[in-house]
Amino acid sequence: MKKFDLITPEGTRDLIYGECAALRSVGEKLRKIFTGHGYSEVITPGLEFFDVFNSKTRHYSQQELYKLTDGKGRLVVMRPDSTLPIARLVGTRLSGSALPLKLFYNQTIYRANPKESGRDDEFFQSGIEIIGGDTMKADMEALSIAAEVMESFEEDDYRFEIGDSGFFTLLSAKLGLDEHELDELREYMLGKNYPALDGMLAKYSDNAYAAATGRLARLFGGREILGEAEKLLPEEARPMLERLGTVYDNLCAIGTGGKVTVDLGMVSKSQDYYTGIVFKGYIHGYGMPVLSGGRYDKVLADFGADIPATGFAVNENAVANALLKRSGGMLTPAPDVMIYSEAGSLTDAIKHCRSLIADGLTAEYADLSSAEEARKLAVTRGIKRLDIVAPDGITSEEL
Amino acid sequence: MNDNNAVRIALTKGRLEKDTVGLFEKMGYDVSELRDKGRRLILNIPGQNIEVVLAKAADVITYVELGACDMGVVGKDTILEHGGQYYEIADLGFGRCRFALAGKKGTDFYGGVGVKTVATKYPAVTRHFFESKRMDVDIVKIEGSVELAPLLKIADGIVDIVETGTTLKENGLEVIEDVVPISARLIVNTVSMKLKKDRIEALSDEMLKALDR
Repeated sequence: MKKFDLITPEGTRDLIYGECAALRSVGEKLRKIFTGHGYSEVITPGLEFFDVFNSKTRHYSQQELYKLTDGKGRLVVMRPDSTLPIARLVGTRLSGSALPLKLFYNQTIYRANPKESGRDDEFFQSGIEIIGGDTMKADMEALSIAAEVMESFEEDDYRFEIGDSGFFTLLSAKLGLDEHELDELREYMLGKNYPALDGMLAKYSDNAYAAATGRLARLFGGREILGEAEKLLPEEARPMLERLGTVYDNLCAIGTGGKVTVDLGMVSKSQDYYTGIVFKGYIHGYGMPVLSGGRYDKVLADFGADIPATGFAVNENAVANALLKRSGGMLTPAPDVMIYSEAGSLTDAIKHCRSLIADGLTAEYADLSSAEEARKLAVTRGIKRLDIVAPDGITSEEL
Repeated sequence: MNDNNAVRIALTKGRLEKDTVGLFEKMGYDVSELRDKGRRLILNIPGQNIEVVLAKAADVITYVELGACDMGVVGKDTILEHGGQYYEIADLGFGRCRFALAGKKGTDFYGGVGVKTVATKYPAVTRHFFESKRMDVDIVKIEGSVELAPLLKIADGIVDIVETGTTLKENGLEVIEDVVPISARLIVNTVSMKLKKDRIEALSDEMLKALDR
């Protein structure tokens, strides 16, 4: 029988040394930002019933999920996202909380990606949810915190992209499509599949909304896009354009200008999930967004709490990888001192170790049987000082 | 590729590569390096800030999806078989052919109530086609000449790329039904599309304009 005892499942990996440090530093940065803004942390179970991820507004297809059954034969999945479990939490234990409720999370999520796609099946995701509150103010808060997050990665060339899922909803509703056709159209819009979009919309050549739908996919770029859109999109889109313009200008006013772009063709993968302002963050060196979020006003109703909400999530592993690439290093810094104890000085060495650490140094005790071995190991590790503790005192060597 | 003016484009080696290089030439680009490439797999178009990568069809998709290349030229056949997340912004029109269901001449593929066996190099396309017909079929993946499968009686039909139909005819097979038309597509990495919008749109427009000439 072939045993798989020396490898990890596809899409998973061991993180070591600098990889852990980079990942933790991203997590810490986000935690500092979120708690600074008064958000409270929640941790939801890694295992949830499948039904949580199969609600009316957000449906995960079976093939995207890692599944198992519980003791009663019920279908359980490994959490593929944190927003739906939080929606469940808000509809149950947190129902009746004073609104707006501001929550953040930092936990692993699991997705069964197509095999050999090169994507992580397990990764750390951290994000916030604003449950309730005034739409414009909550949107603006989520966006400004997201911008702060992107800024904290210290990537000079990041992009922050904003849109509104309402444009697609507004236009596609006027085409009289059945559910299947609407899914097809959404897929083409999501994939900016211009030839397929044009082909599908050609059937409705006398419908002004069809022409506008075709243009929607191509309406992305800087602030000027909003002006262009005003000429190209029907009158009903005006309020959304104005709202997006205000958001754009606000982001510029808080110092994110130059990084913000607009994409009016942004749609949610799942029908009806996003209901308003949506946004994404990109950094160089990662072929997908590292941050994504938006307004999801209908989701909570599926869990018995009809409250509007917005939020975003950050793929911490993706950001950590980019940081690691930039710094070029995998190594964690070596300790300042290595400590070796001669016969009869073990407890003194342990005390010495503690006192150095108390003074703010890092000190590694050498669990070895000769000073020569300790010296060799210290050199291999890049440790610059060796302290030898003997009954007659401590001698320090520079290495 | 942090330079927002540099573009790396992956071309599917072989016919699509030749057609795309022809298109670049029509656009007035210096394609000497692309024509006289030896065994090199990464090439430059002088003065255009374009780097060309030559790859197998499925790898073009992988490179574009992962952001190693900004753009790619790949057949719709490979896109349908492999899926993935990227933008498919233009139909380049060349490399035109179709996926078709074929069987032995004179036999009734859809007749009877038994489950049919279909041989193909493209199991995902085949599965999707028969799912849309609400038909359960057994799919056999074949790597080489799929036409052999019905002749060797291991399959009732095949799903394969058909250009002229000559190979089918010479082996006593005929097209039963067209599945979907195929042509070369221009695909773009989703992040590149945003970070290098002007450059990519200009190149795509230029290519489409040259096609019309």
